[in-house]
Amino acid sequence: MEKRIGVYICHCGGNISDYVDVEKVRQSVENDDNIVLAKTTMFACSDANQKDMVDDINNFNLDGVIVASCSPKLHLVTFRNVTERGNLNKYTYVHSNIREQASWAHSDNKEGATEKAIHLVKSAIAKARHTQPLDPTKIKAEKSVAVIGAGIAGLKAALSLSEKETHVFVIEKEAAVGGWVAKWKDLFLTDETGDAIIKRLYEELKKRQNVTIFLNSEVVGNTGSIGNISLKIKQKEEEFDITVGSVLVATGFEPYKPKEDEFGFASVPNVITLPEFKQLIDHEKNTLTYNGKPVHNIAYIYCVGSRQPEGENTYCSRYCCTATIHAANQVRNKFRDIQNYHFTRGVRSYGKQELLYAESLQGGDIYLQSYEDGLPTVFARNNKPVVRVNDILTGGKELEVEADLVVLVTGMAPRSDNKVGSLFKLPKGRDKFFNEIHMKLRPVETVIDGVTIAGACQGPKTIIETVNSALSAATKAYSNISKGVLETDPQIAKIEAPACIGCSDCLPACPFDAISMARQGGKSIAVINNSLCKGCGMCTPVCPTDAIDLIAYSNVEIMGMIDALV
Amino acid sequence: MAIATKKTAKILVFSTEKISDPAIDMAGLMKLHYPPTVYTITVPCSSGIKSKWILYAYEKGFDGVFIAADGSDCVYGESCTEKTGKLVTKTHELMKSQEIEPARLRMAAICSVCSESFVKQIRSFNDYLLKTLHPES
Amino acid sequence: MNQEKKNITYDALVIGAGIAGGEAALNLANTGFKVLLVDKDDSIGGKMILLSKVFPTLDCAACITTPKVSEISRHPNITIFTGSKVDNIKRVSENEFTATIYKKPRYVHVEDCTACQKCEEACPVSVSDQYQYGLVGRKAAYIPFSICNPKAAVIDIENCTLCGACEKACPTDCIDFTMEEEQYDLHVRTVVLATGFNLFDPLKMPRYGFGTYKNVLTSMQMERQIAPTRPFHTILRPSDGKMPDKIAYVLCTGSRDASVGNPICSQICCMYSIKQAQLLMGALPMADITIYYLNIRSFGKGFEEFYEQAKGMGVNFVKGKIGKITEKENGNLMLRYEDINAGKLKVAEHDMVVLSVGALPNTEAKGMFADDLKLDKFEFVGQPDLMASPAQTSIEGVFVAGTASAPMDIPDAILSAGSASSEAISYLMKNVAPQPPKGGVKVEQVSGC
Repeated sequence: MEKRIGVYICHCGGNISDYVDVEKVRQSVENDDNIVLAKTTMFACSDANQKDMVDDINNFNLDGVIVASCSPKLHLVTFRNVTERGNLNKYTYVHSNIREQASWAHSDNKEGATEKAIHLVKSAIAKARHTQPLDPTKIKAEKSVAVIGAGIAGLKAALSLSEKETHVFVIEKEAAVGGWVAKWKDLFLTDETGDAIIKRLYEELKKRQNVTIFLNSEVVGNTGSIGNISLKIKQKEEEFDITVGSVLVATGFEPYKPKEDEFGFASVPNVITLPEFKQLIDHEKNTLTYNGKPVHNIAYIYCVGSRQPEGENTYCSRYCCTATIHAANQVRNKFRDIQNYHFTRGVRSYGKQELLYAESLQGGDIYLQSYEDGLPTVFARNNKPVVRVNDILTGGKELEVEADLVVLVTGMAPRSDNKVGSLFKLPKGRDKFFNEIHMKLRPVETVIDGVTIAGACQGPKTIIETVNSALSAATKAYSNISKGVLETDPQIAKIEAPACIGCSDCLPACPFDAISMARQGGKSIAVINNSLCKGCGMCTPVCPTDAIDLIAYSNVEIMGMIDALV
Repeated sequence: MAIATKKTAKILVFSTEKISDPAIDMAGLMKLHYPPTVYTITVPCSSGIKSKWILYAYEKGFDGVFIAADGSDCVYGESCTEKTGKLVTKTHELMKSQEIEPARLRMAAICSVCSESFVKQIRSFNDYLLKTLHPES
Repeated sequence: MNQEKKNITYDALVIGAGIAGGEAALNLANTGFKVLLVDKDDSIGGKMILLSKVFPTLDCAACITTPKVSEISRHPNITIFTGSKVDNIKRVSENEFTATIYKKPRYVHVEDCTACQKCEEACPVSVSDQYQYGLVGRKAAYIPFSICNPKAAVIDIENCTLCGACEKACPTDCIDFTMEEEQYDLHVRTVVLATGFNLFDPLKMPRYGFGTYKNVLTSMQMERQIAPTRPFHTILRPSDGKMPDKIAYVLCTGSRDASVGNPICSQICCMYSIKQAQLLMGALPMADITIYYLNIRSFGKGFEEFYEQAKGMGVNFVKGKIGKITEKENGNLMLRYEDINAGKLKVAEHDMVVLSVGALPNTEAKGMFADDLKLDKFEFVGQPDLMASPAQTSIEGVFVAGTASAPMDIPDAILSAGSASSEAISYLMKNVAPQPPKGGVKVEQVSGC
C-alpha cells in the first residue's frame, strides 16, 4: 500500500518562522508523492496541535508523520507519543530539525535557511517512506542504583533512593563520607554546622538495610547499558563487580587553586584562599593570628578563578560572594578589632542571602569594586601584603589597603581528575562541568542513558541547590528502573540472509559480541543476537556483500535522503 | 545581505545522534553561522557509515562529504575511532579509483560541545571546495 | 449552592500548576501515584507559559511549557481542577489529609467548547486583559490566551452583563449560565505546595510614575510585548504607538529595598532584563537599551557568559540608582539617577522605561491550612530543615516546590520541584495506604475537568 504521510511545519512562535518561510516550505512539499497533508502550526508541541495531529492521523488514515521543528533531543519523544495516541506505531514517526540546523544556524541568510529547511523536510519524507512499525526492545532493569561520590549530594540522593524500594551502592574514594561540607563548620542561612549535617545524614543512611557503602573505593570499569550496568569497583587492592540499573554521578567540585603570583598567591606573604581562611577562623579562639602575628585588617579579593577576563573560568561560582560575606561577619563578631575590606566585582548575594550583605554593611565592612579591566593588584611592602585598586565606587580613585591577611575568594572548579567522566563518557559544558541534556527540560540527565548528574559536578551550587539537584536526580534514576522493565529503541542490525556469504568479517567488528555464525538453509551465515545488539552499525560497512543494514538507517533510507538533499 | 548571494559548496555531513549532533545543534543555538548548503544526516555512530553512501552523494552532486566523527567519546566503545578511520581510508581509495579527489571527503572528531570547532572545520572545507571545484565564484 | 459535597480521594494534592507544580505532579504521576493538580487560574502553566524566551539558552518559554502542559493534561494519573481554591487542609493521620476544594463555575462546558472564539466576537463587554498585563482589552466571554490549557472559553461573570449574546453565538451550545460552584471533600496522603510568587506592584513606588506615565511599563508587560503570543506585532510605546528607540530598564524595582518592605534580592530580574534587552536588540536593531543596575547577578550556569554576550551586543549597563522619573510633554521620560562610577547626579532621557519588578511571596498558601503552616520572616513558606531537606515544611507530609519558598529562576524551580516530589514519593512509600482506602468512594475523573 502507498504510504500516507502527514507533515507539520512549526513556526516555533517565530524561532523558525522569523528566518524560514514556513509557508513556502509547506507549499514545496505538499504535492510530493505520499504527502496526504501538509500544515504549518504556531507551536507543534502545544496540546491543541497534538490533538489535531491525532485527529488527522485518524481522519486521513495517515501511516507516517513528520514534524519539522526543533532538535529531536527536545521533542522526538513528544511526537512519537502523539503518533502512538493516534494508534500508529511510534517508529513510523520521523523528525526534522529545522530550528537548530536551519533557522538558527542560518539566521543571517533567510533565503538560504528556507532552502535548507525545504531540503531537510524532503529528506525526512524520503526517510518516512520507508519506515516500518517496530516493537521496542524490552530489557530487564536491575532495581539498584550506584551513587558515585558521598558528599552531601551523594548522601541525600542515596537516602532518597533507599526510601524507594531500590538497592543503593554508594562509592566514595575517600576514607570518610561528607565531601567538602563535612570539612566546614559554620554555613550561611543555618545555625547547624556542616559536619553536623553530614553526621546526621550519614547516621540515618547507615541504618538503611538496602544501602551498601564502599569507602576508599573507585569505579574502574563500566560495561553494559541502562537497566543492566556492570561496574568494576576497586577498593584499595581488591577489585569486584556490582550490577546496577542506573548510575548517579555526584563527584562534586574542587576549590580553584590559584596559580603562583595570581593576586600574590605564594609570592606575597599572608595571602591565603577562602577554604584556608574558613579553617583558620574555625580553629582560632579569642584572637585571630596568622603566622604568629595578630590579624586586624583583612582584605578579601573576590572572583579568584571565576569570571576570569583572561583564563579558562568565565563562569560565576555563585556561592562565594555570600560565603565570604558570611565569613567576614563571623570574624568581626568572633574577634576584636577586625576591619574587613572587600575587593569585589559586584556583590552577588542573591535571594535571601542579601540580608547577610546588609548586615556586613551595617557592621562597618568596607566595599571596593572594580571591573574586569581593572582588577586589584597585591604586592608586599614591609613584609605585609598591600592591595591596590582603582575603586569605581569612589569615582575610580586609586586606593590602597595594607592588610594583615589577604583572602583570595576562590571559586568552584570542575574536578581536575576526570576518571569518572571519561569512564561514563559524560559530555562537558563550556565551563568543563558535566553537562545536562537540557537545563529546563532534563536538568539532571546526561546524553548517556541511565546516567544522571547531581550537585556541583554539574556546576557551582550552594548546599540547598545541591540537595535539590540530588533529589531530582534520585527521582529520575528511580524512574529509570522503577518498573523493572525498560524499553529501548529496536533500531538494531539486520542481516539479509541470502546475501550473506558466511565470511564472518562482521564478527570482530561488533564491540558487543552480538554476532555469531550459525547454519541456516544449508550454509553458514552470520546472525544477530537482538538482545546484545546496541544498534551502532559498526558491522554494516565491513560486509563485502552489503548484506547488513541497520533498521531505520538502511541503504534505501539513507540514499533516499541523499537524493532529497541534492 | 552579502552572504545570501555568495555561492557556497554543497556539503553532506554525517553526524552522530549522541555526540556530534548535539554540537551541531548547539552551533545553531549559539547562532554560529555556516553555509546553508551544509546538510546533516544523522546516524548512531560514525563507524557505521558505508562507503557506498558517500560515493552516492558525489554521484548525486555533492561537492564534499564531512564525517563529524564520534572520536574517543563514542558511546559504543573505543574501537570507533579506528573503525571510522578505516572506512575513510577505504573510501578514499575507492574515490581515487573513480577519479574523485579524495580531499573532497573530510573527517574530524566533533565532541558534543565542539560547536565552534565544527563551524570552523565546515567553513574551511567550504572554502577549499569552492576554490577547487568552483574557482569561478 | 446547595449541591452536596463530593468525596474525592487521591494520593497527592499539588497546589499550583505552574512550572514547579506541573513538574512535581508529573514526577508523582510517573511513579504511579494519583495526583490532583489544582490551580486558581483558568489555565495551567503559571507565569512561565506567558513568557517570551527564557535565559540563558533563549529557548522560547512556550516550547518548554506547552509540551509539559500537554503531558500533564493527558496523564492518566493526573486530574486537573482549574479555577479552583483549596481550603481547610488538615492532617488527620500519617496517611491522610483532608481539605475542601471550591471549583468556581466556568459557565462553559469545557469538553464541548472548540475554542472557536465566536463568543468572544459576540460579547459586547470589554475589560482589561489580565494575561496581557493590561496592555490590551479582552471580552467578558473569552479564551484566556492562545496557548492556554484547557483550551476553552470562560465567562468572566464579574463583568458579564448576562446579555446572552455569547450563548446565541456558540455553535456547540457549550455555554451554560446555570453552572454553580462545586465543592469537594478531598482526601489525600501528601500535599505539594507550588503556589508560586507575586510580582511587585510598582504603584507602591510613586516616584517612578507607573500608572501615571503611560510609557512606564513593568517587565512583565514588556515580556508580553516580545512573546510569540504577543498582543501587537511589534513593540509599541503605549502613549502614541511609536516604536521606542531609547529604552531604559530600572533593576531592583521592589527588591533589595527595605523601604518597600522587601529587603531581599529577587534572583531573576537581572537575568530576565538582560534577556529582554537581547531580544529587543534583535527586534529593534536601531534602539539604544540602557540597564540601570546596582549589581548584576548573573550567577547561574551560563548566566555570566549571557551577561557578557549582552555587553558585546551593545547593551549599555549603567551602575546607578534611580531617584525620580518625570514625564515630558512628548511622553518621553526623564530619569534622575546617581551615576555611581562617576559619583555624580545625572539626568537621562528615554522614550520608554521598563521597571524590572521583583518577586514577592504569594501569601495565600498559609490560609489554605487549618494546621499551622509556618512562614519565614519574609512570608515565604518556611523551610525548617533548609540545608538537608529544603522541601520540608513545618507540617509533616506537606512539601514545598518552586518559588513558594523563595525567589528562584526556572532551572532552580524545576530542581526544587524534583526535590519536593522526591520527598513526597518517599513519604507515600513509607506510609503505605491502608486497604481499603478511607474517605469514601474514589473518583478517578470528575466531569468538567
